[in-house]
This record gives sequence, C-alpha cells and structure tokens, in this order.
Amino acid sequence: MEFESSRDLTNRAEANFAKTRLAAPGRWVMLLIFFLFDAALPAQTRIAQGAAQSPANAPASHLFTDEIGRRVEVPAAVEHIVSLAPNLTEIVFALGKGDHLAGDTDFCDYPAEAAQKPRVGGPVNPNLEEIVALTPDLILATRAINRRETVEALARIGLPVYVTDPHSVDEMITSVEHVGEVLHAEKAAAALVGDLRERLSYLDRRIAATAPRRVLFVVWTDPLISVGSGTFIADALHRAGARSVVDTAAEWPRLNLEEIIRLQPEVLVFASAHAGDTQHDIDALRTRPGWRDLDALRRGKIVVISDAINRPAPRMVDAVEQLAHALHPDSFGRGGSPANAAHIAEEACACAR
Amino acid sequence: MRPLTMKRLLWTCGALAGVLLACVVLALKLGAVPISVTDLVLNLGRIAIGRSDELPTEYRLIVFDLRLPRILLGIMVGAALSVSGASFQALLRNPLADPFVLGVSSGAALGSILALIVAPQFALLTPLGAFLGAGATIAAVYYLGRREGQLDSTTLLLGGIICASFLSAIIMFLMTTLAGRDLRGMVFWLMGDLSTPVPAGLRWIFTAGLLAAIGAIYTTAADLNLLLTGEREAIHLGVDVTRVKLVVYVSASLLTALAVSVSGAIGYVGLLVPHAVRLLFGSDYRLLIPASALGGAIAIVVADMLARTVVAPTELPVGAMTAMAGAPVFIYLLRRGLR
Repeated sequence: MEFESSRDLTNRAEANFAKTRLAAPGRWVMLLIFFLFDAALPAQTRIAQGAAQSPANAPASHLFTDEIGRRVEVPAAVEHIVSLAPNLTEIVFALGKGDHLAGDTDFCDYPAEAAQKPRVGGPVNPNLEEIVALTPDLILATRAINRRETVEALARIGLPVYVTDPHSVDEMITSVEHVGEVLHAEKAAAALVGDLRERLSYLDRRIAATAPRRVLFVVWTDPLISVGSGTFIADALHRAGARSVVDTAAEWPRLNLEEIIRLQPEVLVFASAHAGDTQHDIDALRTRPGWRDLDALRRGKIVVISDAINRPAPRMVDAVEQLAHALHPDSFGRGGSPANAAHIAEEACACAR
Repeated sequence: MRPLTMKRLLWTCGALAGVLLACVVLALKLGAVPISVTDLVLNLGRIAIGRSDELPTEYRLIVFDLRLPRILLGIMVGAALSVSGASFQALLRNPLADPFVLGVSSGAALGSILALIVAPQFALLTPLGAFLGAGATIAAVYYLGRREGQLDSTTLLLGGIICASFLSAIIMFLMTTLAGRDLRGMVFWLMGDLSTPVPAGLRWIFTAGLLAAIGAIYTTAADLNLLLTGEREAIHLGVDVTRVKLVVYVSASLLTALAVSVSGAIGYVGLLVPHAVRLLFGSDYRLLIPASALGGAIAIVVADMLARTVVAPTELPVGAMTAMAGAPVFIYLLRRGLR
C-alpha cells in the first residue's frame, strides 16, 4: 500500500517533470527529495520482478520461518551466502557450503578459509553496503550477537535474512538442521547432526552415574565475568558433567570475587585458543589477592578447554568432550576415548601441575 | 560585522547550500562500493526520465536504498541539532548550552531502553520512547531551572548536568541488570549512529516535525537578537519574552528529541556548529538559524562519510567522528576569531 502510493508519487513527479523540462531548479530539488525518500522502486517489488523474469520452472523460492518467528523467502538455489556471525560461518563450512559463502565478519576465523572471505565488518556493526555489494541471496544472522536493527534494515531492502537463536547444545544442533534446510544441504546436515547427537549421547551414558563437578567458567578475569544459567555455555557445562556455581539470570554476569571465594568451586574452567597464553594468565592469577584464596587455583584444579565452547557451532561438541574427559577421567575407558582425549589429558595435567 | 541585508543572507545560504551539495555528491561517491560521479549523474538522469529499470539491482540498493537515505538522514539530524543548539544558546544566554549538556540525550536513551524492555517486538516504539524520554527530560530540566518564577540559565544548565548524570546512572543500572541481547545495540546508539535506516513512515513525520520546528524558531529570529542583549531590555523593546521563550524552548526540544530518536546521541554538533557560524558570519539570528542548519548538515554528512570510510568495512559511530573532528575545528575558529 505504502509502496504503491510512493510509486504513484514518483510517477506523478516524473510526469510533471517531463511536461516542464528543466523549467526551474525547484523541479530538480523536488525530484531529488523524491529520490532521497524512497522514490526509487521498493526493493521487494524489484526482487519479485527479477524472480518473475527468471526462466526456471521449478519453484523459484521456498518460504521458511526462522528461529525468531520471522517469515523468510529463500531462493531455491542459494549461491551467495553472507554470514554475520562466526558460529554461522562454521556451520556453513561444516555443511560443505563454504564455496558458496560470499562474505563473513571480521571475527570469523574458523576454518582457516573463513578468514580469506571478503569481510563485511564486525557482527554488531557490519557495513550494509558491503553486504549488498556481495549480492547475497541469503544472509545468516544470529540473535545472540547481531543487532535487530541490522536484520530489519537488510530485510527492508528485500534481502532474505534467516536468524538463528540457539540457547543450548541441543538447540545448536537444531540450528544446524535448520541452516541445512535453508541451504538445501539436508543430507550433509543429517549426517553431521547424527554424528553430534551420537557423541553427546555416548557422553551422557558415560557420565550418567557421576555427580556433576561444581565449576566456575571464567569468561574474563578483569573484571571476573562468568556465564548465567540460561546461556548455551551453561548447558554445555551441564552436558560435560559440570555445574556452574554461578546461578543467575544475567547472561554474562560480572561477579564479585568474594562471592566466588564463598562458593569455592571445585574446578576452574578456562576457554582458550592457545593454552600457553592462558597458562601465563593463570600463573599471574596465583599471586593475586582474592584469586590465591581459591582452593581450586591453589590445588591446580584447572581445566583449559578449546574456545570452541564459546560458539554455538558443531565444534562446541568437541569442547564438551574435552571438558567431560578432563573432569571425569575415570568414566572413560581407554578404548572409548575419542581422538582428542590424550591431548586433553596432557593439557589438563600441564595446568594441574 | 556588516549589517545583514537580504542579499548577504541569500548569498551566504546559497554558498553553504553549494558546499552541502558538493559534500552530498562526495558522500554518495565514497563508500564500500566506489561510484564514479559521471555514473551517478547519468543514473540520476535515467531515473529522472523514468528509465530506472536499466539500473543494476545492487547499485540501486546500495546508492538509493542505503547511501542516499542515510545522507539525507544525516542532513536532517545535523540541521536539527545545530538549530536547537543555536536556539538554546540564545534562550539561556549561555554559550555552553547544547541539547546534550541539558540532559536530553540521556533522557532519550533511557526512553528507548525502556521501550525495548517493555515491547521489544515493536521496533517503531524505540524512536517513540526516545522522543518521550527526551521530552520528559526537557520538561524536568525546565522545572529544575526555574527560580522565583524566572528561568535562570545557570540553574538550568546545572539541572541539565544533574539530570544527565542521574539518567546515565539508571541506564548503566538497566544495562547491567537486564543484560538482555536486545540492549546490545544501545552501545552504538549512545555514541550516535546513522547506520540504521529509518522506516519509511517515520521519515515523513520526522521531516514534517523538523521543518515546522525550524520554521517556528525562525519566526522569532529578530526577537532572539533582542533577547541576547538581556531579558529586561528585550521587554522594553516590545518583545513578548514569555511567548518567544515558550516557542523556542518547545521547538528546540522537539528538534533535539527528533534527532536523538533516529540517530542516538551525536554530540558536539549542537555546540560547535552555531559557534563556528557565528565566528564566520556574525551572530544575527536571522542568518544564524539557516546558516546553522546548513552548517550542521554539512558537518554530519562529512562526519558520517568519514565514519563509513576511515576503517571500512567496519564502521565508526558518527558521534566519535564529530567529537574527534569537532574539537580541533573549534580551537581553530576560536583563535581565528580572537585575532
């Protein structure tokens, strides 16, 4: 309705313009104002026209409902994907669609090819022009780090944006399935999801009998930031046979060290891409007042796991396995250990001293 | 300074409009996707003769759906902020007066945060919340600034500063306790941001409000000149001071609230641009108001152009750009004016 009326206005302006032929500079100003405010045809109309002109007889697009309840019309063949979050980039690659990824964000560093893709800026403030310039036929976003305004702005100019919103390990796996459907990679998604579910249920069986360890997951040390109970990291800890000593609704609570000394977690869990750097930080913490009063730190009960736990993507399950093996070594026989178990044990030993 | 004649008014405004146009063309050209000026003119011509279908889709999306609306938004926000800054400076007879010193931006930020908390599903409520927050803060500051029935400019400024820090504290409290995901964008918003396109319906409301408010302030331009010499003097010269104050206060507040509701807190423009215009063209409000509007528009268009391109493809908040560029320009103008 609104678009039609603005189109009428444009037509009228153009008709007037044709009649008077550069009569007054005022006309130009009028015309310019029309352009500045949506005088150009709305993008939706344009895209629809484009679809109508395409010769394909098969359905040109499929309608999906994304994870935050928006309706998204995605072309049947997705050739140019723009990912607005590192976890979505990982999912696209895990589904074997890395070649179709036209662009990603400054923070997309896994797998290595992801860092070679054209960048559209940070996930919170991507450059909209850059995104459009990559001519995407699908944009992937996630509610946890992308801004609502970004999604709305892209949708308004007629680009399909599929938004995921995982809050747990299981929901992350569901997201992989959803993205698989949207990218028409259902087979790859089914295989990947089957594998992830199997590994998780193996973990569940192994640690079912053991009591969860009381841990503090350290997101940041200065100031001390941990995870709230509603986050996917808290759920990942739970899947690995751990329970966060922090129980708060805030997602990334900034904590008082006194409270942690009172709670005395059994184990401190750090996530890092480089265990060596973290080791350096942990050594520094040992001498600091407050931190040195933590039993877990004094007794070397520290586990450093892969920073993959910070991203709701398939690799997160690796981190869950690492943590489960480090926290409950007795539950896993030699035969059943996954390939990375030895490495973890080493890492855990190094930290435990 | 020479007396203001109609000729000088038109020449000055015409020259500023020319500079603005040049800045707009440059801003249209520069960006993530470079565009040549010839192409731009050619394509504008194509659209003018109704053959817009010939344009490539991405080009139209980028230039006409993203870049141009953003530049226009910048023009209007810049005009609104600097005209309201100029008005507050006359009204309070205090060169430090500025919509942000008066606490308006904090009020608007709180309003939009509350709108996000109450009804996150309605995106249109966020600018409305900002608008109501700005309006409420201005009313509160106005009330605080009254002493013995008179508007006291020092008290008013202090009231504004107190309101600003109180509201900022509440914002910090809300952002810490309700660390919900939808408040993440607020960080950008608090620093001023033009990257989010304004919904089509709001644009017209915004334009109409802007033109009405600037028009209303302009009708009092001659009275503002007299008001600057002193309130008592203005009354003796036949100025209806109460009416002028009310008109200017309401209009300037409306301008600030409109600007903040669509672009967040872009600082310095309301303070710097009117002073720059005064140093360049004199302080006659009949010239100062239109020249400030154009100057503010130029300032924001240039600042946003830099914000978009300096660290491309990532963007800086335009507020950081205005603050970074504003201070040196101000010092230069000040020293030039002193000589």
